[in-house]
Amino acid sequence: MSIEVKGVTKKFGDFNALGGVNLDIHTGELVALLGPSGSGKTTLLRIIAGLETPDSGSVIFHGNDATDQPTQDRQVGFVFQHYALFRHMTVAENIAFGLRVRPRKLRPNNTEIKNRVTNLLQLVQLEGLAERYPSELSGGQRQRVALARALAVEPKVLLLDEPFGALDARVRQELRRRLRKLHDELGVTTVFVTHDQEEALEVSDRVVVLNKGHIEQIGTPDEVYLEPKNAFVLNFLGNVNRFRGRADHGQVRIGDLTLDAPEHAALVDAPVSGFVRPHDIDITRHHNGDSASLIPATVTFIASLGPFVRVELERENGEPLDALLTRERYEELSLQSGEPVFIRARRLRVFADDVKPGGEDYSI
Amino acid sequence: MAQNRRTSSSKSDPLWVRVLLTLMALTFLGLFLAMPLCVVFIEAFQQGWRLWLSSLKDPDALAAMRLSLFAVVVAVPMNTIFGLCAAWVLTRFRFKGRSALLTLIDIPFAVSPVIAGMMLVLLFGSRGWFGSYLDAHNWKIVFATPGIILATAFVTMPFVARELIPLMESQGQEEEQAARTLGASGWQTFWRVTLPNIKWALLYGIILCSARAVGEFGAVSVVSGHITGQTMTLPLHIEARYNEYSTVAAFSAASVLALLALVTLAAKTFIELRGQVRKRH
Amino acid sequence: MSFTASHKLAPTRRRKPVRPPGFGLTLGVTLAYLSAGVILPLTAVAAMASRDGAGKFLAMLGDERVLAAFKLSFGAALGAAIVDTFFGLIVAWVLVRYSFPLKRVVDAFVDLPFALPTAVAGITLTTICAPDGWVGRYFEPLGIKLAFAPVGIVIALIFTGLPFVVRTVQPILEDLDGEIEEAASSLGASRWETFRRVIFPTLVPALLTGFALCFARTVGEYGSVVFISGNLPNETEIVPLLIISKLEQFDYPAAAALAVVMLVVSFALLLAINALQVWTARRGGGR
Repeated sequence: MSIEVKGVTKKFGDFNALGGVNLDIHTGELVALLGPSGSGKTTLLRIIAGLETPDSGSVIFHGNDATDQPTQDRQVGFVFQHYALFRHMTVAENIAFGLRVRPRKLRPNNTEIKNRVTNLLQLVQLEGLAERYPSELSGGQRQRVALARALAVEPKVLLLDEPFGALDARVRQELRRRLRKLHDELGVTTVFVTHDQEEALEVSDRVVVLNKGHIEQIGTPDEVYLEPKNAFVLNFLGNVNRFRGRADHGQVRIGDLTLDAPEHAALVDAPVSGFVRPHDIDITRHHNGDSASLIPATVTFIASLGPFVRVELERENGEPLDALLTRERYEELSLQSGEPVFIRARRLRVFADDVKPGGEDYSI
Repeated sequence: MAQNRRTSSSKSDPLWVRVLLTLMALTFLGLFLAMPLCVVFIEAFQQGWRLWLSSLKDPDALAAMRLSLFAVVVAVPMNTIFGLCAAWVLTRFRFKGRSALLTLIDIPFAVSPVIAGMMLVLLFGSRGWFGSYLDAHNWKIVFATPGIILATAFVTMPFVARELIPLMESQGQEEEQAARTLGASGWQTFWRVTLPNIKWALLYGIILCSARAVGEFGAVSVVSGHITGQTMTLPLHIEARYNEYSTVAAFSAASVLALLALVTLAAKTFIELRGQVRKRH
Repeated sequence: MSFTASHKLAPTRRRKPVRPPGFGLTLGVTLAYLSAGVILPLTAVAAMASRDGAGKFLAMLGDERVLAAFKLSFGAALGAAIVDTFFGLIVAWVLVRYSFPLKRVVDAFVDLPFALPTAVAGITLTTICAPDGWVGRYFEPLGIKLAFAPVGIVIALIFTGLPFVVRTVQPILEDLDGEIEEAASSLGASRWETFRRVIFPTLVPALLTGFALCFARTVGEYGSVVFISGNLPNETEIVPLLIISKLEQFDYPAAAALAVVMLVVSFALLLAINALQVWTARRGGGR
């Protein structure tokens, strides 16, 4: 089932949780709502579920306006952040709940319910735990029960609020993959909320990046990572080094470097920032007369991260920089702490700064 | 063990302090709690269990027990329904005047039982607001069973609500919301999700409410009229016998209530040990 | 900067917010019950008290017997609250910190005054304290009267009020983070200094709450007091008893005036206790 969100706004008191959000989710898609806390991502999810009402705007399920439809009629499966398992019911009773509360005419008989529960337990790989109570399960198991419970009613849409948030790193990795596989098997339209960019990039078909109640960018994981629309998206999707500079008539000057930037042709002597991800920085020992694209720096610290090595550097003006080298490259260079080197940015993105008076200006 | 030694050196008191304080506490509790409890039973059985039994079989005593039981059976369900409604509306919604309602619920605890009884006299007594109306229809509230029930209900009004409100507030609504996303109706959610989650606290509130209701004295005393065999509850019966110097009869009836108090304490402790509720009044 | 989302708002519609069901029903029941059960009776008392005007009201309160009753009621409740606060702290401390045989039973027993009907407590304490009673007989030769004297009233109120202090202080003491004490001792504080400077200040709000609760619930107490007090006007007559005697004389305005004073004091205490509990939660409950 497709979901359309049209011009949705929501205020909590004075706080603008959502300021006019438009979003199309296609049938069978797996979409991540990604943003920092307070960005409105959970509010948006709860509005889709019918757990909150938007102040204005509408939610359309498969062409039908569902904005005023109560939650229990929307046929959504919702997995709560802390799972909200019924603590007085066993795992099996939890999963069967949605079927048991159906009106008599629509309610499957006991055998069917039992079979359904068994199948779902198999699906989430919890066979044998049917008679346990939620308090007797691990975090990861609870999460899977919550998922099975939501799926039991055969929802048209599956909504998950920070589904992996309360789990430790290893379990989280495993459950992420499982969610992706499950989605591919069942094909149910799925939306999940996360603040973890890695999770969003790994699992979803499309990522919706939210900030302060607005959508900053919608795109495939590659699009948002490689072609961020603005500094916020770039920043939020991973570590980045920032270089302050100025743009003037299509030319950007960062320290001694001058670059062509036709997209900023309209700016006249305006502050801009250049951004480079640590893995897009290369380190060399010699400038080979190519000083125009090289920036001198000093190695201050080397941290070995297994397959990668993080090299911390300091520019001549004292600004710190991070570079992420493959182990191969690092061993080739055999860098030492305290050594003077040159760095080259393989991929530099320049965005105009928000005009804030009094901002410090650095030069390279 | 190293752990233990570390804790004992920094967090526990010297032996003499421990002994002294424990002795002080136990002596105090012994004098003020254990001794009175023992005295009730000693006085009740001082002339043998036959006399004890015959004072309880006295028709007036039996009538008093019946009336007390009746008042409990009517007042406690009233307060339970009220408590459930109040807890639901006060924990599941935010609205203007909510905190005023929270304070209003506490008021019966702050009112002297005698004043509670007096209020009923002012409303329903022959010279009260509704007195002439009631007289015209030949309805009696004060100095009759309805007055006793109303007095009992007033004094025990907050118990169930006070027990449920903090629990339902802290449990939050997530499970109820989950039930709704799974298609459950309002009543289904209440019966299958909310009620099982609050059942122990509810039971706790009902036990406290009943214990207080069966022993209520001041408020009932004002509205009862003390008509032997008709408007005497068990505590009033005790008072009457005591003032007639029928010590054994008074303490025999008192021993029944004391036993009930012990059962209440046991039930209360049992529920506290199951977690979920904390000792309170 | 521009991005894909358009900021155009759809026309605003007024909507019912998503709420759990049952608002109307439960609010209706609650309001009806509280109006009929609390507001209406309180109004009746206020109306009766003010029926004959302010002059009569004040004159009635200025009566010598009335003043004596108020002095006795408030004084006895104050005395009992002080004793209960002191011993309540010790009992709570012993129950939380130490272990001894039958601790569970003792702990459960603290609630006895609450579970035991007040009339039972009344006749029992009187039997114990009477001049020929279990304890009273040892004081009689010394010329000390326990029952039928103000002391007896205080004794009855100590019994009634005890659980309130213990049950208010106990949970705060249980939640007290042991690390705080370890930190204090690691900084060189002695055990007594740790108690005085670290533990006791944390308990102050709870102790005050317990004290106020104890006072509020005992000041209007009737059942446990009426037997032991002796009920002599000007000497051992408490306010609730005076109210009853005014009612029996059909002097409703006087009874209502007494009640109004008691109610005002009780409500002030109720508000103070609510404020104290907020403070307790912040002081003792915060981690």
